[in-house]
Amino acid sequence: MDMDTLLSYEWSIMAPEFTILLVATALSLIDLFVSKNVDRKLFGWFGIAGIAIALIFSFSQIGHEPAMILANTYRLDAFSLSFKILLLTGSLLVLLMGVSFEARGELTYRGEFYYLLLTGLLGAMMMASSADLITLFVGLELLTISSYILAGTRKKSRYSNEAAMKYVINGGISTAFTLFGMSYIYGLTGSTNLADISREISNITPANVQVLLSIAFILTFVGLAFKISTVPFQMWAPDVYQGAPTPVTAFLSVVSKTAGFIIIIRVLISIFPFTQGFEENTSLLHSLMIFLSVLAGMTMIVGNTIALKQRNIKRLFAYSSIAHAGYLLVPFVAFSELMFESMWFYLVAYLLMNIGAFAIIQVMTEHSDSEDVSIFAGLYYRRPWIAIMMTVFLLSLAGIPGTAGFIGKLNIFIGALFSDPSRYILAVVMIGTTVISYFYYFGIMAQMFMRPAGSAAQVRLPVGVTITMVFCAAGTITLGLFPGLVLEFFQTQFNFAEMFY
Amino acid sequence: MLENAWLIPLFPLLSFLLLIFLGNQWREKSSFVGIGFTGISFVLSVIVLFVQMTNGSGGAEAAWLTIGSIEFRVGVVVNPLNALMLVIVSLVSFLVHIYSKSYMHDDARITTFYSYLGLFTFAMLALVISPNLLQLYIFWELVGVGSFLLIGFYFYKEEAKAAAKKAFIMTRIGDIGLLIGMILLFWQVGSLEFNEIFTAVRDGEVAEGLLTLIAILIFIGAVGKSGQFPLHTWLPDAMEGPTPVSALIHAATMVAAGVYLVATLFPVFESSPAAMTVVAVTGGFTAIFAATIGLVQKDIKRVLAYSTVSQLGYMMMALGAAGYVAGVFHLMTHAFFKALLFLAAGSVIHAVHTQNIEKMGGLWKKMRITGPVFLIGTLAISGVPLFSGFFSKDEILLATWYDGRYGLFTLGLIAAFFTAFYMFRLFFMVFTGDSRSTVTEVQESPRSMTYPMITLAVLAIFSGYINTPWFGTFLGDWLIGDSEFLPFEHHEGPVWIMLAASLIAFAGIGLAYLIYYKKSLQRDFLTSHMPNTYTLVFNKYFIDEFYQYTIEYGARAVSYLGSFIEKYIVEVIVAAVTGVVKSVGSLGSRLQSGQVQTYGAVAFVGLAILVFLVVWTGGYL
Repeated sequence: MDMDTLLSYEWSIMAPEFTILLVATALSLIDLFVSKNVDRKLFGWFGIAGIAIALIFSFSQIGHEPAMILANTYRLDAFSLSFKILLLTGSLLVLLMGVSFEARGELTYRGEFYYLLLTGLLGAMMMASSADLITLFVGLELLTISSYILAGTRKKSRYSNEAAMKYVINGGISTAFTLFGMSYIYGLTGSTNLADISREISNITPANVQVLLSIAFILTFVGLAFKISTVPFQMWAPDVYQGAPTPVTAFLSVVSKTAGFIIIIRVLISIFPFTQGFEENTSLLHSLMIFLSVLAGMTMIVGNTIALKQRNIKRLFAYSSIAHAGYLLVPFVAFSELMFESMWFYLVAYLLMNIGAFAIIQVMTEHSDSEDVSIFAGLYYRRPWIAIMMTVFLLSLAGIPGTAGFIGKLNIFIGALFSDPSRYILAVVMIGTTVISYFYYFGIMAQMFMRPAGSAAQVRLPVGVTITMVFCAAGTITLGLFPGLVLEFFQTQFNFAEMFY
Repeated sequence: MLENAWLIPLFPLLSFLLLIFLGNQWREKSSFVGIGFTGISFVLSVIVLFVQMTNGSGGAEAAWLTIGSIEFRVGVVVNPLNALMLVIVSLVSFLVHIYSKSYMHDDARITTFYSYLGLFTFAMLALVISPNLLQLYIFWELVGVGSFLLIGFYFYKEEAKAAAKKAFIMTRIGDIGLLIGMILLFWQVGSLEFNEIFTAVRDGEVAEGLLTLIAILIFIGAVGKSGQFPLHTWLPDAMEGPTPVSALIHAATMVAAGVYLVATLFPVFESSPAAMTVVAVTGGFTAIFAATIGLVQKDIKRVLAYSTVSQLGYMMMALGAAGYVAGVFHLMTHAFFKALLFLAAGSVIHAVHTQNIEKMGGLWKKMRITGPVFLIGTLAISGVPLFSGFFSKDEILLATWYDGRYGLFTLGLIAAFFTAFYMFRLFFMVFTGDSRSTVTEVQESPRSMTYPMITLAVLAIFSGYINTPWFGTFLGDWLIGDSEFLPFEHHEGPVWIMLAASLIAFAGIGLAYLIYYKKSLQRDFLTSHMPNTYTLVFNKYFIDEFYQYTIEYGARAVSYLGSFIEKYIVEVIVAAVTGVVKSVGSLGSRLQSGQVQTYGAVAFVGLAILVFLVVWTGGYL
């Protein structure tokens, strides 16, 4: 590669990534040279500004023709852009939370927290844009390794250390699975480039190759299931979510999970729809969907039923987030033309309601010594506004009409019912488990409205958390009442046919 | 005007929002906000009713959400049924708002109370003007939330907490039926707009078997909401809520939503004879079943609760027997006289601080307004001629007679007898005889409580005259009026049915009079089954023994059967479902040992199973 080709690339399409890279690098250097007495919270605001600029770049790229640079390994298309906007918005809100995170002095290395979050975000963005297994994997690892450290940033907390350790071990296993699966794909097609793979793979016909490809599919999916915490790779989530600092938990449950869905869609949809399936005139993806549908159903059941037994609010939300990953798999399994729309909208709704809820959990756990759900007791009579906003988030998570969560579920549900073939069993499981989820979500609401106030401790609201909460609550309700606002934007601005090569 | 009908639910919503966000310190002043806003809603509802009558039906709709090729719409629709419901709901809500001002006077959380009332009224009004099933379902759930909050209003009482939870779960069971029915309907028709559903059903686009299934599933939703057998058990428990709430939600409006749902979807039900039979039989059975339980209750509100269940059963029976007008007519008259009875009961409770009717008595002289209005309500519900309940009950009996459901017709007559009996038992025990109250200074309630009762009493007398065989069937003509989906029908009934109904009402009243007023029998007779009761009973009037051997034991048997079914069948099913869910949960959390090896092993085993299955099933194709 000489200088000319390097300069001839349209680098501007990577502007958001460069912005994040620049800010992360600058912060890590400044952190080294600046005196310990300087308040590291400034870093947070710096990072927030960086993400905001990256967001502006991303929005300005809407409508851009699909383009590839770096020898066809990096791709800008509707898929990458629409999901990148989600990643950026999610990280922005998490950073806003993080700036207000006190953790009673346990967060001694605050600077690290900010720039590791940014490198994690950079990895996620790379995953969204990659068109090559190698860059995908690098992005995945960048995100994952940053997350390992983030989970352990409360260095003096035993739980935080335990969480980081468990996360590393499980992450290692999952990476092995993923790589193993990818190696099969490479072995069968001789390329790591997704465009080449999708072209090559349709030419492979021998029947025994299908079995190898199926194994590759399963291995890759199970490995990546770690990132989205679905069955059989969901068990790390409660321990890690509980131990990690709350903003990191929010990051893992929203940004990292979104990235996981991105890579799953990108890899599986680039490769498997073009392969002959087990039956005539079906694709391999189609033939293997039954496995995913069983996993999706199990994820919904496991997440929602075990959540019933939880008293620790962060563990409860870990199971809730497992359940939501199950819902999110449904449109993928249904694989109708509504798939992207449903998944994207649900991720938007999930981002708003989950980060909002974690913002409140952060405030509440900081002001009491426990993480038991009883810390919410009588909240309505102490701080009515916080209680009302938490109610909005819980209602949305439960999928009650009037909130974004309901529209998201409705979208998924209709997609599953009207897809071909109809995934009605999955739709039924989804409804059934949603009903189960009412019990634990409403349990928290019962604490807030129907229990006498437990502690008289004053709840102080730092500015960052307040912005996050209000933004998320407003978004949750607006999207619940006027879903057309976002859906129409999505339908007119993003053309997902661009995704295929 | 009709396209602006959405303004009607908006005012109670405003009241709710104002009170919940700003009203923390307003205390008693918050009642004025609630009263004012619901008052506006009531006035608007009346205007809408008149506009509908003069200009015909109307409404407005707009696209809300487009998913693929499917469009969901939001809007309002005003037809005769909706307009009537609007007036009933906003009027009763308005009166209950006024009444609560004094009733809840001493409660520290009066603002919260009024905000919940606003939320409920908003949801209920929005429910009745929904032009499609989805919108209806949304508000249907919201109404349930309002009910849940209000039943559990005294959350520091364990019973109230349990009752709220029970109401929530029981109605949820019904709602799942409704939801599945709705989804099936949507699957078949491709739309949830009422008009499109009716057109599709009329054109035979839905197979008959499936249509029956859909109708029955939707009816299950109505069963839950309207407290029909076997999902009725939450309604008596819901009496743990404040009494004005019982009047508004658990007598006049929300529990009638199930009846309203069946009435709104009447064309769907009508296309399936099997579903109609299910509706009629469930309704008829509930009517008599609940009436027998009402015979032996001691709590004033529980008697009224069982009577509500029974009357709702009546309405369902009417609808199932193709008596659309009869069902809706009874819904209306019942809303007035039952709200009246509950408010009067509240007034009594307010005065004597107990709900046990054995600790009341002799209140007629002390409560110069509550007594007469309670009597009016009792006469109306008993079906005494010239009161509203008489006309609507007569219409229901006629409908069952003409539909050829003679068994149900007989059940209806017997239930009417029971109703007259237990209602007058209640009346005599509360208002006549000697005072058994521990409160010596019994005072009549303040005006803000009596005026709403007087208003309702006037309606309980006169509201029946809009649909009589003597002065014309104005209501029926208007309800069926301009609809293309409802069949026009009116029955000129044989006079003997009316006579029989009147006689039966008087027989019930007479029996109650003999037992509880003339006291030819000891009061605790009904409730004791000691052997010495027999000697007491012996040598008494023949009618007593007749009662003892037939009605008392019969009623006991039925109510034991009822509580048996409740305890061992309904609750076992509920327990089984929750048990399975819980055991899956605890199994999962036991696996979650905290051992990282386990987690890795689970992932690995999961992977191995998947790969094995792929190879096993796919490899040799």
